[in-house]
Amino acid sequence: MVAIDLAETSVREANERIREAGARGEDVEVLNPDARHHIGVGLTDPITVRVRGSAGYFCAGLTDGPRFEVDNNTGWGLADNMYQGSVVVGGNAGAIAGVAIRGAEVVVKGNLGSRAGQVMKAGTLLCAGNANFMAGYMMYGGRIVILGESGERLGEDMTGGEIYLGGKLHSLGSDAMVTDISRDEIDSVMEFLDRYEIPFKGSLQKVVNAGKNLRYGTTEPTVRSLPFFTFSDDCDYWNRKIQEDIYVKAQIGRYRVRGYGGARSVPHLSDLAFKNDLARLGEEKDPVSKVEMRTLIGGKNGARALDLSMPLMIAPMSYGALSRSAKQAVAIASGLSDIAENTGEGGMSDAQRDAAKQLIFQCLGGRLGWNIHDMRRADGLEIYISQGAKPGFGGQLMAKKVTKELAAIRGIPAGIDLRSPSRHPDILGADDLVIKVEEFREATGYKLPVSVKLGAGRIHDDIKIAVKDGFDFVELDGMQGSTGAGGAEVMEYVGIPTIAAIVAALDALDDIGCRDKIEIVLMGGVRDGIDAVKVLCLGADAAAMGTSAIIAGGCIACMQCHVGQCVTGIATQDPEHEARYKVKAEAQHIHRFLETVRWQIAALTHALGYDHVRRLNRDDLVALTPEAAEITRLPYAPEYREREAALLGKAG
Amino acid sequence: MCGIAGILFKHAEVGLETGKALIDMLDGCQHRGPDSTGFALYGAERADELRLRFFVGEGEAAEDSVRRIKQALAQHQARIIEDQRIGNDYRARVAFRGDVRKFSYAMEHAAPGAKVISIGESLEIVKDVGTAHRVDERYNVHDFAGSHGLGHVRLATESDVKPEAAHPFWATGFADVAIVHNGQITNYWKMRRRLQRRGFEFTTDNDSELIAVYLADKLSQGVPLKEALKMSIDDLDGTFSFLVSTKDEIGYAKDRLAAKPMIMYETDDLIAIASEEVSLNRLFPGQALDTREPPPGSYDTWSRST
Repeated sequence: MVAIDLAETSVREANERIREAGARGEDVEVLNPDARHHIGVGLTDPITVRVRGSAGYFCAGLTDGPRFEVDNNTGWGLADNMYQGSVVVGGNAGAIAGVAIRGAEVVVKGNLGSRAGQVMKAGTLLCAGNANFMAGYMMYGGRIVILGESGERLGEDMTGGEIYLGGKLHSLGSDAMVTDISRDEIDSVMEFLDRYEIPFKGSLQKVVNAGKNLRYGTTEPTVRSLPFFTFSDDCDYWNRKIQEDIYVKAQIGRYRVRGYGGARSVPHLSDLAFKNDLARLGEEKDPVSKVEMRTLIGGKNGARALDLSMPLMIAPMSYGALSRSAKQAVAIASGLSDIAENTGEGGMSDAQRDAAKQLIFQCLGGRLGWNIHDMRRADGLEIYISQGAKPGFGGQLMAKKVTKELAAIRGIPAGIDLRSPSRHPDILGADDLVIKVEEFREATGYKLPVSVKLGAGRIHDDIKIAVKDGFDFVELDGMQGSTGAGGAEVMEYVGIPTIAAIVAALDALDDIGCRDKIEIVLMGGVRDGIDAVKVLCLGADAAAMGTSAIIAGGCIACMQCHVGQCVTGIATQDPEHEARYKVKAEAQHIHRFLETVRWQIAALTHALGYDHVRRLNRDDLVALTPEAAEITRLPYAPEYREREAALLGKAG
Repeated sequence: MCGIAGILFKHAEVGLETGKALIDMLDGCQHRGPDSTGFALYGAERADELRLRFFVGEGEAAEDSVRRIKQALAQHQARIIEDQRIGNDYRARVAFRGDVRKFSYAMEHAAPGAKVISIGESLEIVKDVGTAHRVDERYNVHDFAGSHGLGHVRLATESDVKPEAAHPFWATGFADVAIVHNGQITNYWKMRRRLQRRGFEFTTDNDSELIAVYLADKLSQGVPLKEALKMSIDDLDGTFSFLVSTKDEIGYAKDRLAAKPMIMYETDDLIAIASEEVSLNRLFPGQALDTREPPPGSYDTWSRST
């Protein structure tokens, strides 16, 4: 038994000692916990940890295997994302107890705070006292047992799992219902109660999902595909795209969900041009050897930085939206070109991990596929707040793509129209976010860079929050970014343009004198090396691209990503369709494309007179349109239009 | 973006270590906001007297501000009974019988470098950059022994770290009403324009000040605090958990999304409310408290026995 006194030891040091004890198989006693946050976070050995007092936020969070016993109360996020193992709390637990658990047994002898068991997938959450409002909020599986009163809106938006209630039912959440309970179920609950020595004499009622809201009422018809580039051409009021939109809405009676991004003309990188005469472009036959492009991202606060061979990353795209094969091809290409890949939502596969040299693991509000083990084998962690193509919205994965295999990884029922939560259970403001970041750092020993993905919206404020909360870098995403599935109007009208996003971000950092405190990776319609260089000139530290990589890997841009029957095998989970995708060949295509990007970045940097991508700056750019000039405050120089057209011929 | 705390001792004969209790509670949740800390404290009231607190800063400019404030007080028939320079503040107790709102607005413009922090018969707001303990060292908060008070720790995300941007906020123009707030009011400008059309002045762009003025306006029309809180849940958009205090009461309101944390503990002697349980635990070390999380869209008030 190891005793750790938190009156004398920091939580960070205590957690290291707890993990060391875990490795030796020794139990731990934590004295004077004083409701400190993050106690026991990241522990993956089956030892017993006794907390002699109260614990704060995220006690036993991001763990797999241990047994925790807390004498008194815990703050919010008890047993966050815990896989196997157990937690027994002698007193009360705060909000979102048992959030996102995937098998753990969580026993609270007192009362539960609000939203207990939010997005939980498997395991048991037991409350011997009363629950507060919205217990079982958005739960996907497992069981919640409440011996006392239910609180308001029990089972709000629950998808799967069962809730057993011993006391008074205050009210049911939307799409929840009371149903019959079987003898076996009662026995199973009683066995659980006996095991934890919790007396109970009353009767139980059972609450489950009512099944009215798991799928959209009508599925969207498969329409003859309209190529994206036709789709985005004429942007007048009445055209084929508007016509098709009205036809479909007349059938389904709701907003449409489609793949790809906004197709309106808004000011973009193509409205900027290089100011210097680029006559030298192409003279140097081997610009790559003449320009230093290696870029380190994420090391500002002592974490191990991502080491990119050029200032470029792959944008986050999920396994789910994309097939396993497509993700694997992107990962292989990223490794061959020695840049970083990103898991997006929905978890990490072995194939992807093995193929990508550097992999960022993304955490979203539904915690779909999120877990401590994959966190540890990632090279960076990322908290997704929103995305340029659909700021403020969660992802949509239509039933066709929610196969058994995919559902198992995400921990959700198969065959539902998955509408991922747009909010995190435990991030409701900058103050909560800082505690969440700390949890990630605690769980991974402060080794990995932690980034935040922001869809451009309220950038001026959000970027300050990102600095304040200690993120190592931000992935900033403008409205020209794409998605596998999103509301059509949202893509067109909600975000703000990529060039406006970077300008607002840099202005905000100047305001607070913190440009050197955080790095910015800009994305959202970055098509090639020319765009990437413009992004660097505008002040970003690196660019990221998603759509271009997918197109390089065989995407035909038909915008049917959401349907699930992608003919190329990219945006599908159907094994027959996926079989068409030739991973090795497409990985080579993507890699070859990334190398053209490298050449373009090098050639342009060299032609602008620099030997290092870091030297690129705003003085290298002019604006071709009054709108772009207004947004970027670059000089308006329409006379450069012809030269820009020539450049596209030369560098492309 | 922050941590809030409030405490009210229900009976005058109980301990009343309000200053110490608030320091402990805020120290417990300082991780929610390390940049600045503030307190709204309610001392003994005397008939026809006001307590005034101004931010004046330091150095010669501060001395000049104090001179101008004294002139303005004289002009408005406010006789100084006692006054003091403490930290960044100029603090005065004055004899005054007149329209507090007009007087407050005049005091706001008394000196270009000064700002009114609070005016009230018993309210005094103390706030500055730094932690609860640092602010206490500078302003001697722990000696304060009133019946109730509020506290706030701030994480400066959307404006600079400076003393006058710290919380709590006073309801500009209304004696004795203070607020601490965690969240964001999204119809801020709409609500503010409505109140401005009726002649109310705002001295900051902070949404906490808006809530304070909104509630104080209702109170001045004779609406009970509990009723005013109920109305605020309908009238204010956004996500918020706030605490409000007057001479005799404290209350809370929480929006219908209930996204911002709030937890409370009540006994026969006191009610304590905070953003996190860790703050409540500081008051009762080592005990398992039977705490309660207020439901979405709820509000309530408690008053001291008088």
